[in-house]
Amino acid sequence: MLNYYDLNVHALPEGADPPSILSSVAKRYGYAAIAITNHSNFWSEVTAEGIISGVEIVADGISELKEKIKNYRPKVDVLLVHGGDPKINRAAVESSDVDVLAHPFHEFNHVLAKSAAENEVAIEFNLDALIYARGVSRVRALSAFQINLKLARKFGVPTVLTSGARSQYDLRAPREMIALASLFGMSEAEAIGALSKTPWSIILRNKKKARAWSYYETSTILDA
Amino acid sequence: MKPLPSSMRERKRYIVFEVLSTEKIDRSELIDELWSSASSLLGDVGAASCNLWMLDFDGRRGILRCAHDKTAMVRAVLATINRVHGIRVGIHVLGISGTVKSATEKFMRQGDIPRDTID
Repeated sequence: MLNYYDLNVHALPEGADPPSILSSVAKRYGYAAIAITNHSNFWSEVTAEGIISGVEIVADGISELKEKIKNYRPKVDVLLVHGGDPKINRAAVESSDVDVLAHPFHEFNHVLAKSAAENEVAIEFNLDALIYARGVSRVRALSAFQINLKLARKFGVPTVLTSGARSQYDLRAPREMIALASLFGMSEAEAIGALSKTPWSIILRNKKKARAWSYYETSTILDA
Repeated sequence: MKPLPSSMRERKRYIVFEVLSTEKIDRSELIDELWSSASSLLGDVGAASCNLWMLDFDGRRGILRCAHDKTAMVRAVLATINRVHGIRVGIHVLGISGTVKSATEKFMRQGDIPRDTID
């Protein structure tokens, strides 16, 4: 069986539920783990079984963003950047320390896609836009998703599917996520990859980095 | 009226689902929400082609009938339901079957539903 991961979930104090409830609901739905990625102004360290520590960085400018990336990178396993603003989107895909650019929406193009592929920054399809919006705003979200998916395919940008949940009622099981992804043209195989293989490679990459970093630290201490 | 010959009947699938919510959900309110979500997501034409029918709902688990080739769409519709009459809900599909009997046997008997309430 495949392991599924949801890399954008907000817990207390930002969301409505503590991490333990969110992870038990996610487990029942068939997820191997979820990442608690509170926005950086609500961030606190979370470590528990079935939870990956993460953050979604909010920044007004590029220098602030870079500062925050440097700050949070050693503390978390999954680093998201709160996208949407053209400047922030651009800075995020140009940094290889960023794992996921969250909800880039309409501010994503071929230039950004190219650097995202180079730096292995995944782009997020946050399905709460399809779950909660109705009418025109959902149509807009769907069309942005279609365009971003086309760019991701063309340039080989990794993609992740997330719920962006703020409470246990916002989580959706992997099969439901796949069905929602098919609404904007994502094939079943692509959707499964975006829920399992891509998130897992992000987690693995950061675990390796963390190990290398701690090894480096201890070796320099020993040398000194 | 003569019953429709079996070869002329619509092919169906039975979706067993579970509702996660703080309070008990009323059956008719869930049906209203289901129809409004379906027509909002798929339009009237798409919703009609799904051939939706709620067979059974006990406040937590239920069986929904749909056209055999529209299960992915119906899953998406169920996933977009987030509130029923102001109560926050999350719907989770437990499984899909070709007959009511196998749907109940496979998916409704799990957990805390006692056997004798179904038979």
